Amino acid sequence: MLEFIISKYNFWLYVILMMIGLYAMLAKRNLVKKLIGMNIFQTAIILFYVSIGVKKGSVHVPIIVDSHGHGAQLIHAADYLNPLPHVLMLTAIVVSIATTGVALAVLILIYRRYQTLNEDEIIHIRQARQKAGV
Amino acid sequence: MKTIILAFVILSGGLLIYGTIDMPAWGDPHSPANSYVSPLYIEEALKETETPNIVTAVLADYRGYDTMGETTVIFTAAVACALLLRGWSEGRKERE
Repeated sequence: MLEFIISKYNFWLYVILMMIGLYAMLAKRNLVKKLIGMNIFQTAIILFYVSIGVKKGSVHVPIIVDSHGHGAQLIHAADYLNPLPHVLMLTAIVVSIATTGVALAVLILIYRRYQTLNEDEIIHIRQARQKAGV
Repeated sequence: MKTIILAFVILSGGLLIYGTIDMPAWGDPHSPANSYVSPLYIEEALKETETPNIVTAVLADYRGYDTMGETTVIFTAAVACALLLRGWSEGRKERE
């Protein structure tokens, strides 16, 4: 039982982190807090993928040591971490930076227009303005 | 409303944790993610691309077109930010 927990607890931690982000996205009324929740969600997925590429034991990061005499020495795949999750998560980080940047720009515009970032207040102001015919 | 959201979040978290029962153990060198294509990349990357850093070799050589598309994503985001925030300083001056 203890062995089972030790072999799986990292996934559970990432699921908990992901659910914190999902709760923030759904339940918080402040738009910046929603955005922070989305970032926590993305970070949880990135951590999950990187943890898939881990190999226990005496392994190096995926940078080949002594590469100047290349061709001579044999490279064993078991000596290096799995590089593919790292590469895919670089792509995911790029996408998350892009979405966060555009979302912050939109939030600046929303704040300029309504002087608040609270979702309920924005809906209230919109309805009041529609009734007034502005 | 918040209790419904909390129940939904706990339910989906429980389902995801139930799904991890079938995941390979953490750090298992023979897990599926570590055993099919990744040994090929590790062994052939230096020979084929002359790059000691395997992550760089995969990102800029094997997946070069994907990385080029990623620069399009970043460029689009930068243009979108610039268009959205255009005239921000002028609008602030008008109000002052």
